[in-house]
Amino acid sequence: MILLEARELTKRFGNVIALEQVDFTVSQSVTGLVGHNGAGKSTAIKIFLGLLAPTAGEALVLGLAATDGVDVRERVGYMPEHDCLPSRVSATEFLKHMAEASGIPPHHARTRASDLLRHVGLFEERYRAMGEYSTGMKQRVKLAQALVHDPVLALLDEPTAGLDPTGREEMLDLVRRTHTEFGISLVFSSHLMGDIERTCDRIIMLDHGRVSQTGEVSTFTQESETLYVEVDGHRDEFMAALESRDLSVASDGTVVVVEDVHDDAYDLIRDALAESGAPLRRLAPRRRALADLFDIPSEGDGP
Amino acid sequence: MSSAAHGQVFDLGYRRYEGPRAGRKRARLAIYKDGLRAAMGLGRGGRAKVPPWLFITAMLIPAIIFALIAGAANRIAPDFDELDLPSHADYYAIAAIILLIFAAIVGPELLCSDRRDGVIHLYLVRPLTPGDYAGARWAALATIMVAAAWLPQLVLLAGLTLGDPDPGSYLAENWLDIPRFLAAGLALALYAATLAFLVASFTTRRALAAVFLVGLFLISTAVIGGVAQAVDPDVARWIVLLSISDVPLYINDLVFNNRAPASGGLAGTTGFAQRLPDVVPVVWYVGLVAVAGLIIRERYRRFTG
Repeated sequence: MILLEARELTKRFGNVIALEQVDFTVSQSVTGLVGHNGAGKSTAIKIFLGLLAPTAGEALVLGLAATDGVDVRERVGYMPEHDCLPSRVSATEFLKHMAEASGIPPHHARTRASDLLRHVGLFEERYRAMGEYSTGMKQRVKLAQALVHDPVLALLDEPTAGLDPTGREEMLDLVRRTHTEFGISLVFSSHLMGDIERTCDRIIMLDHGRVSQTGEVSTFTQESETLYVEVDGHRDEFMAALESRDLSVASDGTVVVVEDVHDDAYDLIRDALAESGAPLRRLAPRRRALADLFDIPSEGDGP
Repeated sequence: MSSAAHGQVFDLGYRRYEGPRAGRKRARLAIYKDGLRAAMGLGRGGRAKVPPWLFITAMLIPAIIFALIAGAANRIAPDFDELDLPSHADYYAIAAIILLIFAAIVGPELLCSDRRDGVIHLYLVRPLTPGDYAGARWAALATIMVAAAWLPQLVLLAGLTLGDPDPGSYLAENWLDIPRFLAAGLALALYAATLAFLVASFTTRRALAAVFLVGLFLISTAVIGGVAQAVDPDVARWIVLLSISDVPLYINDLVFNNRAPASGGLAGTTGFAQRLPDVVPVVWYVGLVAVAGLIIRERYRRFTG
């Protein structure tokens, strides 16, 4: 089932091109929308939410044009990046109100608010005014309000922004559980590749308003054709033995890196070890991180 | 060792929502209800409840005084019918400015806070349009204003009726005052709510909007009142239309058949307005409210976050 679809989607602000002829689809999954700041992530999200009208092309949400009426928003949630919580209201009051504002009758709204506060771990704190909450707690209320009306799909804009490492881990875990346990599909926008790699099934990469890559996260991070070999001593003899067998060898600190590995490379490495008498400590294929493939930071907070 | 007697904790897991969804209708109602609660400080801390109840009390005081005066006069001089006692027609001349300031303080609370806190971004992605949002918030403020405008008049009616030696005949003679004060109160309330929202739609700072509105009401009235006294009455009758806080009083005066004293209004402008053709204050009032409403709608129609 296709939840979001961009068809030649274009958005210009005057002479500035935010999105140019963008095509992609989002199905039931956790999809990472990645790119540098200004790549068009927020613009795309705002178009799908019906807050911005596209200059050209189409943005479809659950099969309906995002600009057509407001009913589709009953089934879509949104967690903005910036602050959006009233400081004087309690979390339980706020969530109940947000559920009603999504069309849910009051007594159901009350139950949904309690359920969601329990799921995000704020049940004990639910009667406190939100102005007293920490950044991590506020982020969790923001996620809860995006889910309180049980949407089919929720769009999360930089959900880990401003969180410390522990808070970030908890948020990523919660995001992952939202899909695996709650069955809600997510679009997760971030400029942090580490977050995307941890939580997403698929990625859509935007670069200067165009889609530069799409695909399964696992295909990007699958094992590369590189082996790490560590030996205890006789390192130079070992490397010479590898080179004499026509293997492409490099040195990375104490690790010997064998590149462009082909099928019989493991046998050749065994032979080289035997010949050089180097004791083997470790032999491992190297996994690639998303951050290695794209010029994007994997840690730390965004600007 | 555990047994069933110790009780068990069940993890219900995530429950999907299968119940009814009422969409836009429910969303508008939710914004309206929340607007009423925010305006009255319900669900907020104790401090938020002070201003609305303070203003409602202040609105009641002149009505109670009017009723006490009439009651006392009835006891002292029961046969002197010609005594010109303050009544429903005069009430808003005193209380209108309280209601306008009430709207100036509470109105921005309903609009500015949502934009400043960013809550507006959560509303606009829910099943309603920006126009629905602004309309529902306006309706909430208008409801509070109408209630605050009518309640003291009803108290006054009760006081005048019960204070009269013959309540039955008092009501029979004065029943027409009831639709009149309902109409005049409605005009005042809608005016106060719309003007407060017009100013609030231009700033995210509540205090700034409130100070601007109170200043506008007091200064426009003082300046226009002074100018009107200094110029030719034929010119003054037009100039007094610019006295922002007196415009609903001109409607009140028309509704009550020009019974207000010529020195009515905050700066004695009613007398000048009485020299205008009746249709002029009505057109001016409707025009002001309509233009303000259109500007608010336009401000929110373009709002995309």
